[in-house]
Amino acid sequence: MTGEIEELKRLLGRDKVYDDPSVVALYSREASGLEGNGFLVVFPESTSDVSAIARWAYKRRIPIYPQGSATSLSGSAVPGKGVIVSFERMNRIYEISVVDSIADVEPGVRIADLNEALMTKGYMFPVDPASHVVATIGGAINTGAGGMKGARYGTMRDWVNQLEIVVPDEKGTVMRVGCRTVKCRQGLDLVRLIVGSEGTLALVTRAVLRITPLPESSPTVMGFFDNVEDLLAAFTELKTRRYPLLLAEFLDETAVSIAKKGVAGFESVRGHMFLASVESNHEAAERIMDDMVAVLKNHGASIIYTAQSLGEAEEKGLLTIRRRLFPAQIENARRFWGKSNVRVFIEDIVVPPSKLVNAINELKSITEKYGLPYTLGGHIGDGNLHPAVGIVLDDKKVVEKAHEWYVEVMKLAIRLGGSISAEHGIGLLKKDGLRLEMEKLDSIKALDIMKAIKRAFDPLNILNPGKLV
Amino acid sequence: MDYDDVRSRIIEEASKCSYCGFCEQSCPTLPLGPHRGYGPRGRVYLALLFGKKVLTETREFRKSVFTCLLCAACTLNCPAGIDVPNLVRLVRHVLLGEIEAA
Ligand SMILES: Cc1cc2nc3c(=O)[nH]c(=O)nc-3n(C[C@H](O)[C@H](O)[C@H](O)COP(=O)(O)OP(=O)(O)OC[C@H]3O[C@@H](n4cnc5c(N)ncnc54)[C@H](O)[C@@H]3O)c2cc1C
Ligand code: SF4
Ligand code: SF4
Repeated sequence: MTGEIEELKRLLGRDKVYDDPSVVALYSREASGLEGNGFLVVFPESTSDVSAIARWAYKRRIPIYPQGSATSLSGSAVPGKGVIVSFERMNRIYEISVVDSIADVEPGVRIADLNEALMTKGYMFPVDPASHVVATIGGAINTGAGGMKGARYGTMRDWVNQLEIVVPDEKGTVMRVGCRTVKCRQGLDLVRLIVGSEGTLALVTRAVLRITPLPESSPTVMGFFDNVEDLLAAFTELKTRRYPLLLAEFLDETAVSIAKKGVAGFESVRGHMFLASVESNHEAAERIMDDMVAVLKNHGASIIYTAQSLGEAEEKGLLTIRRRLFPAQIENARRFWGKSNVRVFIEDIVVPPSKLVNAINELKSITEKYGLPYTLGGHIGDGNLHPAVGIVLDDKKVVEKAHEWYVEVMKLAIRLGGSISAEHGIGLLKKDGLRLEMEKLDSIKALDIMKAIKRAFDPLNILNPGKLV
Repeated sequence: MDYDDVRSRIIEEASKCSYCGFCEQSCPTLPLGPHRGYGPRGRVYLALLFGKKVLTETREFRKSVFTCLLCAACTLNCPAGIDVPNLVRLVRHVLLGEIEAA
């Protein structure tokens, strides 16, 4: 292998290629807790670097594993025996055009950094995974990521106009697919094929993303409910009143009891949390806010907080409570196991919002059987739930139990007409789940088509092999 | 001197890390370095591997450990509440102690 590595160092320059085991280790793990066994990390700084890597990998038949910030929760970013291609140095924002409503960026740009640049122009990139401070555009595109504003703005697949990609062939071919404009009828839609492909089809080297104005106003309410049915009835009523919900978020009572700690003004809250925000203009904001408060009250919310905008909701701590879901899940597991070294297994199912009551109640009864510490949060606006159990890795039985739980939760989603993954993707952890879902839909041939598409892009199966299909 | 108890403390603290990377946004050394090892997430993971004695102390490992400013900016955003600067101090303590002993 030394000869091949030396060749790559010559092609790219020594400062872009690392075989130091410490560095390799740092790029061989992801947030899911999975660890891989890459043997080299390369840091391309341009499309031509990426093309050279793809050419080299094809010639040498060496697997390559693209990576953004490794916050994947599905195993999609964890490398097998091969070369990790980290996009972190390709982090330029080339252009922001308000008139064209686009941002032209490199894949290593972090979502929060893009939004900081956009905010100065009164615009935003609305796909905001909870990991937005660290997650990259390339990672989010390839995961098909979503976020809190999914109810209004969907997921990555709705926000990518054009991609520059490199495929692993003898030339390391560079292509541009899609258009700078939203309207685009360029044959089969390869852009949306790449979105969510988890780095298995092509290396993304540049993206033209859609952007949208920051809402002029966004009246926001947060209420706490004793039972889930009332909370969901309030949510349903807001929908029937035709408000364009910007976000509709849920935390169960366990998560609330932990998340509220240390957030001033929330000491006395208890029950399940419902947070809703509506996009509006200044003139309508007060009327909408009053109406939302009335809806929550009518359905039995005990304490209600309000904010005129998401900025104010941030200042008052409303969003903080929601964002604390992840630390609350960790803390809940620690309390249960009585130790600090715990892991949280986060699920990512989606069900039609009309089935949320069934999903939330059944999740609770399924989890009770397993006797594992449990919290539930989710983006109820789009039906996406993140049930989570806490485990200790040194107890094999517990890990097995969590795995069984995971499978049962996926089956529940399928049974309710939903899907096994809303936004975290398939990776390694949900390949069985994907098969289950396609079987249930009597559409197993779709998996064969996916495999054929993979071969068309990557005939030698050297691009993130073993993931997705 | 036997550093095993210090190593156990390192393992205990570093294994809380979920690799979420939330800490990286506030680290002043990460944007200046060539890789993830110049940020808190990297430092915590390398500390874990060092504590478990599964990593040789390479050049890049030392750079990671000794470029930390111990400023604690990263601790503000860590959902697991990991005390990164203290972890780095412990690793330095063992490393330097072992060098001296040799
Ligand atoms: C605490 C926490 C909260 C999260 N919350 C959310 C959430 O709310 N919504 C959500 O959708 N996800 C969430 N995630 C999952 C994950 O953070 C996101 O999906 C994120 O977009 C991944 O970005 P990344 O840069 O870390 O990508 P990585 O994890 O590095 O990679 C993800 C996938 O993209 C591929 N890839 C990366 N860059 C490229 C490229 N340039 N070309 C080709 N392939 C590439 C990788 O091979 C891999 O398959 C969360 C994760 C954590 C840890
Ligand atoms: S203490 Fe070290 S790792 Fe943490 S922010 Fe400061 S320099 Fe970065
Ligand atoms: S924020 Fe904490 S848990 Fe997350 S990567 Fe950093 S040190 Fe680890």
